[in-house]
Amino acid sequence: MEIKFSGVTKIFQPDIIALEDIYMQVEKGEFVYLVGETGSGKTTLMRCITREVIPTRGQISVGGNLLRKINRFDLALFRRDIGVVFQSFLLLPNLTAFENVAFVLEIMGLTPREITERASEVLKLVGIWRRRNLYPPQLSGGEQQRLAIARAIVNSPSLLIADEPTGNLDTHTADEIMQLILGINAAGTTVMMATHNQYLVDTYRHRVIEIHRGRIVRDEEQGRYEHHGSC
Amino acid sequence: MAAVRYACRDGWRLIVRHWGMSLLTIFTAMSVFFIIGASTLFVLNVRNIVSSLENQMTIQAYLKPKADVKAAEKAIKALPYVKETKLITKDMALERLRSRIGEQAKAVMLLGENPLPESIEIKVRKASDVAETARLLVAVPEIEDIVYAGRVAEKLTKVSGFVEKFSIVMLLVAIAASGVVLFNTIRISVYSREEEIGVMMMVGATSTYVTLPFVIQGFILGLTGAFFASLLLGGTYYAAVTRLKDMLPFIPFIESTKLTGKLAFMLICCGATVSLISSLMAVEKFIRKASKPL
Ligand SMILES: Nc1ncnc2c1ncn2[C@@H]1O[C@H](COP(=O)(O)OP(=O)(O)OP(=O)(O)O)[C@@H](O)[C@H]1O
Ligand SMILES: [Mg+2]
Repeated sequence: MEIKFSGVTKIFQPDIIALEDIYMQVEKGEFVYLVGETGSGKTTLMRCITREVIPTRGQISVGGNLLRKINRFDLALFRRDIGVVFQSFLLLPNLTAFENVAFVLEIMGLTPREITERASEVLKLVGIWRRRNLYPPQLSGGEQQRLAIARAIVNSPSLLIADEPTGNLDTHTADEIMQLILGINAAGTTVMMATHNQYLVDTYRHRVIEIHRGRIVRDEEQGRYEHHGSC
Repeated sequence: MAAVRYACRDGWRLIVRHWGMSLLTIFTAMSVFFIIGASTLFVLNVRNIVSSLENQMTIQAYLKPKADVKAAEKAIKALPYVKETKLITKDMALERLRSRIGEQAKAVMLLGENPLPESIEIKVRKASDVAETARLLVAVPEIEDIVYAGRVAEKLTKVSGFVEKFSIVMLLVAIAASGVVLFNTIRISVYSREEEIGVMMMVGATSTYVTLPFVIQGFILGLTGAFFASLLLGGTYYAAVTRLKDMLPFIPFIESTKLTGKLAFMLICCGATVSLISSLMAVEKFIRKASKPL
């Protein structure tokens, strides 16, 4: 799913400029790291893509949908085709791990049998199959993270938005999660991942977009976490 | 449709999760619909009584001892509202008395001559005409005294008019009250699932999908309340009528099961409509707010 930002500015009330004049184009199947210090606007940019946020100025088009114009029903259909790993997971505490994944498929209208099949498959893929009957508060941070990813990919989305999917994880676990996401990307899903993990960005080299105070200050193929080279 | 099945399951879960509130809501809805049904039955019965009294409505005009019967009848017939008149001779009066009190009526004859006055039985068109006609009859010189059982009917007509107006107001108030209670219950359920709704909408749930379980929840609660109300109403009504019939055999109570069946049907429809509207309102407002982007 391709993404196109043209002149996107987001000003939160009263005068916080979270994004300023963003131009960006991401092609189908690409893998993009979004880096930048805390408060630079990474999450806001991603929330513009999922249309949780509407920009103050500028146009956004994702997979051919003009997000400013999209109606309630088309928005729902659009969101079924994207997967989101939220920075704060947003798992539902009174549903089991299995149900947290299954309810996405229920929304899409799958039958109970298809749901059991698909949800089991995904839980095995992210490695928490044995924890399927536990509730999110009973899971460790890493397990919750995996569950959040499982929920994001269970609908086989064309676009995966992952907001710090390896936050609070040890290097080994972060690496495993990263392998998972790379695998999903290899299968054709466009991935945009916000991260503070220098090791991952420098090890698995992909396009890097750096944001600083709401502006894109760097956009390079096969980039590194930190900017090297001439000014 | 898998989606409908999931919605029914979720609606049922909402009821079970908030079971205390659900019971309270059902109970309130039941009370309200019981009141609605009871007042409807009351009005229908009063109407029934009034109309049956209207049918047998006559005024007895007793004539002065040596009055000119023909002239009196003519004068009465000339009055407005009068439908028909019938002369009751002394002999007929005695016969009637005898049929009512038996052989004791012979005592009347001890005086030698039949002392009962001649009278004219007057039928009027409507219950509301009785009083006016009676007033006009007083002015007829041949008439000594008038008696009419319709006094009760006349009062009843007034009462029933008032009761009907009052019960329509009460009906509206009661329906609004049940609507508010259902609305509140659904809103509490909605808020208890606030987080869930947010995530559901993020992963692509349509607003219909989100709304349906709550509407089903409200529908089940309202319908159950109305259903129990009609059961309770049917039971108490027939019990009451059986008792009252013994005590007041001359009052014609409504006993047709067809009518009470219709009333139960009306109550249940009413419950369904009220619950649908109020739960839709409770969810719709919330969803509009939740789906609004920053
Ligand atoms: N709903 C909001 N209302 C007001 N200001 C907001 C809102 N959301 C974000 N901001 C502000 O916008 C700026 C960018 O926030 P954002 O969450 O996008 O940063 P971030 O790059 O994701 O940071 P982090 O790396 O810590 O997650 C911050 O200054 C933040 O305070
Ligand atoms: Mg963030």
